[in-house]
Amino acid sequence: MADGQGAPGSPAAGSHDSGGDQSPRSGVREQDRFLPIANISRIMKKALPANGKIAKDAKETVQECVSEFISFITSEASDKCQREKRKTINGDDLLWAMATLGFEDYIDPLKAYVTRYREGDTKGSAKGADGPARKDGVQPNPIPQLVLQGSFSQGMNYGNSQPQAQHMMVQMPSMD
Amino acid sequence: MRQPGAYSKLVSGGKSGPHSLPLARIKKIMKNSSDEVKMISGEAPIVFSKACELFIEELTKRAWIMTLQAKRRTMQKEDVASAVIDTDIFDFLVNLVSHDSANTVRESDQPQES
Repeated sequence: MADGQGAPGSPAAGSHDSGGDQSPRSGVREQDRFLPIANISRIMKKALPANGKIAKDAKETVQECVSEFISFITSEASDKCQREKRKTINGDDLLWAMATLGFEDYIDPLKAYVTRYREGDTKGSAKGADGPARKDGVQPNPIPQLVLQGSFSQGMNYGNSQPQAQHMMVQMPSMD
Repeated sequence: MRQPGAYSKLVSGGKSGPHSLPLARIKKIMKNSSDEVKMISGEAPIVFSKACELFIEELTKRAWIMTLQAKRRTMQKEDVASAVIDTDIFDFLVNLVSHDSANTVRESDQPQES
């Protein structure tokens, strides 16, 4: 109950949801809920032909969608972890969640990306210990080789319920 | 392109450069998504940084088709909304794009502000 002062009716004071501590969302600042619009905008532009323009409201909508995407995938991955009584959400869980939720086309590029990241991440040691010796040597990430050869590729068959080609990355319609 | 060259991993360590989205922010959004999310492996935000990029690309390309269909050259919010509605895997966004029209959503997701 908000009595007297600080009544929720005052719009100016509510500029960042002050005081609302009942819903977890309300305490979250906007910059914690979204990825930076400049980054979003850059990625969007890359996907368009040179003459394409994007209105601000379209960028903001995509910005919201991305956060929703992260939450959507994370929740699914989190459920899986709970079922399996694990506490930490790892990259494999996310890939599994994406495959389950219809984003199986992302899996291969993501695996490639993580692999490349790992190689880059091993830094100085990359030179001398290029071979298998490196595997359990200086690994900066505590997660052992997950995406690459772990249960992911062999263990389960993802996307079996989804038509595979259903959402390939869209080609531009031949517009010329 | 910002593909790492042959030497980039030796020079830069490959760590800071390649992600086009901030990992710390991604992690925050992950944590905000549910109370159950307690711990997140270091690799998870990295996976997301690329996944979000793919997601943005796909959504943008699909929205652009809508823009062209409307004979425009500037993508509007409604194009994004149409792309979402048109695409099965984006079903989880339908609520967001449709009740977004009042432009009040950004301030908070609360049902009412009384």
